[in-house]
Amino acid sequence: MLEFLIPNNVLCHAVEAMLFASLGCALLSVLITQMNISSIGFTMSHAAFAGGSVGAFFGFAIIPSAIFISILTAFLMGPLSDRTRMHTDTTLGVLFGTMMAVAIFFIALMQGTGKGFEASSLLYGNVISLYREEIYALALITILIIVFLIAFYKEITAIVFHKRIAEIAGIKVRPIYYGILFLISIMVAISIPIVGGLLLYVWLVTPAAIAYQFCNTIKRMFIMAPLIAIIISVTGAVCGIMYSLPVGPLTAVVFSAFFVGSVAFSPKRKVIFHKH
Amino acid sequence: MTGGAKDVILLNQVYTTYEGADLPVIQDVSLHIKPGEFVVIGGPNGAGKTTLLETIAGLLPVVNGSVTVCGHDVVSDGCTARKKIGYVIQNFDFHPFTPFTVEEVVLMGRYGKIGWLKRHSGYDMEKVTSAIDNLGLTLIRHNQIGKLSGGQQQKVLIAQNLAKEPEVLLLDEPFSNLDMVTREEVSNLLCEIADGGIPVLIVSHAFDALPNRTIRVLVMQNGKIILNQQSDPSKVGNLVRTASVAA
Ligand SMILES: Nc1ncnc2c1ncn2[C@@H]1O[C@H](COP(=O)(O)OP(=O)(O)OP(=O)(O)O)[C@@H](O)[C@H]1O
Ligand SMILES: [Mg+2]
Repeated sequence: MLEFLIPNNVLCHAVEAMLFASLGCALLSVLITQMNISSIGFTMSHAAFAGGSVGAFFGFAIIPSAIFISILTAFLMGPLSDRTRMHTDTTLGVLFGTMMAVAIFFIALMQGTGKGFEASSLLYGNVISLYREEIYALALITILIIVFLIAFYKEITAIVFHKRIAEIAGIKVRPIYYGILFLISIMVAISIPIVGGLLLYVWLVTPAAIAYQFCNTIKRMFIMAPLIAIIISVTGAVCGIMYSLPVGPLTAVVFSAFFVGSVAFSPKRKVIFHKH
Repeated sequence: MTGGAKDVILLNQVYTTYEGADLPVIQDVSLHIKPGEFVVIGGPNGAGKTTLLETIAGLLPVVNGSVTVCGHDVVSDGCTARKKIGYVIQNFDFHPFTPFTVEEVVLMGRYGKIGWLKRHSGYDMEKVTSAIDNLGLTLIRHNQIGKLSGGQQQKVLIAQNLAKEPEVLLLDEPFSNLDMVTREEVSNLLCEIADGGIPVLIVSHAFDALPNRTIRVLVMQNGKIILNQQSDPSKVGNLVRTASVAA
């Protein structure tokens, strides 16, 4: 898509992937941090990890298996968090442990065959050898997220503010809430092969966490979080590939540095000191 | 008001429960509320007052009986009914940094009415502005809600439900955080709303700021309505006290 700008094919694909992944994840990060469901990030990445290792064990391709299991988990996410009558975050925590266990179980079974290593690669990701289709999938899901956010902006922001109050306003909370959980899950499933399960977590939380330090309305957060994420991620991809550094970890570290910086300079943390 | 005798709120032998509770919390409650009635619901903590309001708003599973508000069955068609029900909840705890302003929260009350895929109109903003002005929130209109005092937050929620132009108004302890002067102001505002034909139901333990009009008193105990009668505002406190003691 961006070949006219970046002639180097590898770099071009990496930049495109980082662009879409960071844009989609950053938009979702606003919802995730404001709704306190940040564990959805690691739950879903481990669902993908479990899917990958189960797939590898039974001789299927890793990435499709990972995506398949993640989508399955995505469908379960909403109803499950309702049924258990607990905080969504608690349900997610339980699910996370289960997924981790499944993944490790099958990787242990595959010890010595080398296939386990392949599945573990889902934890680290790879922006260097991407298929065109993977980038299209990323672009598609990101566009879907943007459309969903714009179309249901009222409903989504009301739910983020207070589920009960949204319900009283006459909003159908459940389909929108499930929709949010579902989009997060799909985004994670598709981004995992690229940025890796461990690092994806950074994308799903940190952009909003940084934006939060400077914004007092959610509208501004929806604009600032993606901007920050895109700038850091694309820069990370370019630097990583030019200087042969691992792109994912490099970008994640830069993100965290920005977060620390933003907390230090946040107007929200300002305290007025009185001299005695 | 058209059809002055028609019940706006109609509960028929209702039992409601919380998911996972052993026994129904509301037991065998029947209630008929007409347009313009001003209802005060009293009773001890845990009596089921909040549960009754949640039942009327269609937020809880009804195990038996029927609940109809403005002609809508709240069990099968809760969303449509709730677009016409104003409901100021008792417990809200907003995070101090929640990124929403007073104006946004008040506008939220109209979101259901505005409907899917539509943006708010000039009319919606007019209603928001007049509700904000009515509750004296004009100066803090663009402040973040989480950083307001408890009473100010309560006023924002009342404004939210006024901006909604409800056909039924439920308020769960709306006075609990308000100062004495504001109590009277809010109480007069609610009186005007009831005079305009909209039934107002308030759960309250404070009977000093009731408007000067006929009031229907409901006293609840253990999920049942143990007293249901008309009264003068000055006698409400006594009625609630004696009913609760006798039970
Ligand atoms: N979420 C819930 N799950 C199960 N039981 C509940 C739940 N909420 C309330 N109850 C029970 O229902 C009963 C009535 O509660 P409710 O909140 O309606 O009381 P209330 O009259 O509003 O009391 P208060 O004056 O303290 O607000 C209580 O016994 C309470 O234990
Ligand atoms: Mg209560």
